[in-house]
Amino acid sequence: MSAVLGVSAYYHDSAAALIIDGKIVAAMQEERFSRRKNDPGLPKRAAQACLDQGGITAEDLDRVVFYENPFARLERVVMSSLEAFPHSWRQFPSALQSQIGGKVWVLDGIAAMLGVPRSLVTTVGHHESHAASAFFPSPFEDAAVLTIDGMGEAESTAIWHGVGAGLQCLASIPYPHSIGLLYAAVTAFLGFEVNEGEYKVMGLAAFGKPRFNTEFAKLLRLQSDGAFELGMEYFAFHTDTNIAFSPKLEHLLGPARQRGKTWNLGKDGDDQRFADIAASLQWITEEALLGLAREARRRTGSANLCLAGGVALNCVANARVLRESGFSRLFVQPAAGDADGALGAAILGTIALDGARPEAMTSAALGVAISTDAARALCTSLGIGWQEPADVLDAAAGLVLEGKVGAFARGRFEWGPRALGQRSIIAAPQDPGMRDRINQIVKKREPFRPFAPAVLRDRAGEWFAAHDNDMTPYMTTTSDVLEHRATDLGAVRHVDGTARIQTVSEEGAPEFFGLLNRMQARGAPPIVLNTSLNGNGEPIVGCEADALAFFLSHPVDFMVLGDVMISKGAVAA
Amino acid sequence: MVAILARLLNPIIWRVPGHAARKLFGFSLAEHGSMLDLANAAHLAPSAERRALYLRHMLDEARHVRMFASRSSELRLSEGLPSLGYPVADTEDLFASLGEVRFLAFVHLGERRACEQFGAYSDWFERQGDRKSEAMFNAILRDESRHQSYTYDLLVELAGSAERARAEIRAARLWEKWRTWRRMGRFLAEKTYFALMLLIYVVSAPLTRLATAWRRRPAGWTNHVTAPPVRSEAAAPAVLEWTGA
Repeated sequence: MSAVLGVSAYYHDSAAALIIDGKIVAAMQEERFSRRKNDPGLPKRAAQACLDQGGITAEDLDRVVFYENPFARLERVVMSSLEAFPHSWRQFPSALQSQIGGKVWVLDGIAAMLGVPRSLVTTVGHHESHAASAFFPSPFEDAAVLTIDGMGEAESTAIWHGVGAGLQCLASIPYPHSIGLLYAAVTAFLGFEVNEGEYKVMGLAAFGKPRFNTEFAKLLRLQSDGAFELGMEYFAFHTDTNIAFSPKLEHLLGPARQRGKTWNLGKDGDDQRFADIAASLQWITEEALLGLAREARRRTGSANLCLAGGVALNCVANARVLRESGFSRLFVQPAAGDADGALGAAILGTIALDGARPEAMTSAALGVAISTDAARALCTSLGIGWQEPADVLDAAAGLVLEGKVGAFARGRFEWGPRALGQRSIIAAPQDPGMRDRINQIVKKREPFRPFAPAVLRDRAGEWFAAHDNDMTPYMTTTSDVLEHRATDLGAVRHVDGTARIQTVSEEGAPEFFGLLNRMQARGAPPIVLNTSLNGNGEPIVGCEADALAFFLSHPVDFMVLGDVMISKGAVAA
Repeated sequence: MVAILARLLNPIIWRVPGHAARKLFGFSLAEHGSMLDLANAAHLAPSAERRALYLRHMLDEARHVRMFASRSSELRLSEGLPSLGYPVADTEDLFASLGEVRFLAFVHLGERRACEQFGAYSDWFERQGDRKSEAMFNAILRDESRHQSYTYDLLVELAGSAERARAEIRAARLWEKWRTWRRMGRFLAEKTYFALMLLIYVVSAPLTRLATAWRRRPAGWTNHVTAPPVRSEAAAPAVLEWTGA
């Protein structure tokens, strides 16, 4: 048996994951420790936290696996820059500086970071890591796997077939043709930060109509076998790292949106065009994913599908793929972006050593736990009064039902970008005014971004049309809200009538399961509005100090911190 | 010295069109860097009391980030300039790399410098009649003054005496100079590297046709040779890395 650490770093969302004796022991993103959102640096503290969680030291590791081959990536960067000669004259020096100045030495950096021999550190392919992170934690023995992101070493998209402990690459689509890079370019066009604003674009899409379909068909040319090709004349990422789209895109879609401008949607809003562009992007993304999924089904004959890569975080598209692609089941694990490479690398290292795949993932609570002792000590030092109710979950349930907004930090923090009940802001889901309150005063974010409902798994069918699948525990899909239940869910039902549902079970999210059960025991529906516990632009809360910092700087009414309950009135000036 | 320099440069800094917005954005970045360092300290300090002190300090820095960024944004919009983005600083993990005592000395130095600098800016804006900027600098100045004071008291406590605390501050100042020297070196190296790479790029021009021909991969699917289904090293030692690239 073995102890294997997987590492992803140096692009965005660096992370570490640890597997001991075939069990996923821990998986964490560095941003939770460094407090720098999407931190790309070496995940020093995440790796140490994983080792602590496993009760081992770096000396006990049998292997450390990096999630991509830095030399293959270097080759692609050099060659693609030369191919774009002479337009890539700005990109070539900076890209090479970034590669040769740091990225190609990453394996030595990891060895030094952990204090292990360099020979212990190996690599696997970028898309192979993605595929492994999607298939092996899934409940499937046989599945087609699609990996779709901006770019790996040389590919942007690949079809895999997973059977038992084996994974085969069947076909791939080369860089620069990439759905992820299309999405990134339009994200920049809409005035959002690339690698950060993509999920805002997805939320915005529901407010628009896809009236730019013809234009988008020029940007991404879809083929009958599921392959696609970018209309490269509209993009600039291949000639300049800092510019995603070329002036031709503005000729095609009109002027790009200014960054940081306040949103004005609706009939008279001057931003409606941008919502329509977002809707058109969503349309072409869904069409492309459907084509890819059908081709994956044709090539593998499997009834199950797994998705990974940044594009797999598009939960609206995932719902449509499940409905229309012909697959019976679809699994998307919660950290499907670049962080998941760490988990995939650890899994591939484990299989290489043991010959057997690790246990399937049953919970995303793979981070560091809140310590009630540490919470008490910190509260005392900060002069914050606290209580320890006999049943803190029941006390929290009561406050939510009274219409209070709470911060909820219990148990081990989640793997991936979604708050799944360990680090959440919670509130009653009925009143649409609650959404505006939280958007405006707590999260300070764009008005079009929806909140998600968390509901007890056994009762989800009372409110949601599609609730019983492999993605709902991880909030990687959406479901239609039943029409006659719409008023029950005014704060979490998106403008298109869907919700990004999370179904809660005791095994998957024990803290939320306890809370929702207490709400049910009080005669209320076991549903809560759930949004991530972070301020605008910050990573989700990790430890007790982060949680208290959030509480002291945001107008929530109460906070559950481990077994401790704090209310706003208890905070000394 | 910092205050004198700030007063001398005030007319240049704040009157050049667009520069004020960039300068304030730069401050928000610096405060964000400081915030990240203090968040780190609030995670790692061994005592709950000190974690609490660093956490309070971190919250002040977070507020300063917002104040500077917001004022920068107002000035930028009034001049019709494009967005400068979000203030996201790099981290140096100073608490872990310097140790708590040297870290405190470093933070204390930074706060002292900020007090002198922001005092000069506040006076400038008062003379210019820009009440909004003046009020912002005054509010931040009050925080910085409190930070300067508590960091010194804590430094004396942790160092063991006022004399040792002063020695730590001197050492921190030296370390800062060393860091500035290294940053200058890095800056120069980057520029030199850029020029060299550009030269290589130009020299490689004849190879581009070759590269294009060699690498030509049509759009659409590239089919791969299938790998063995079981990927244990014992069973199939050669398949740890797929060779799709």
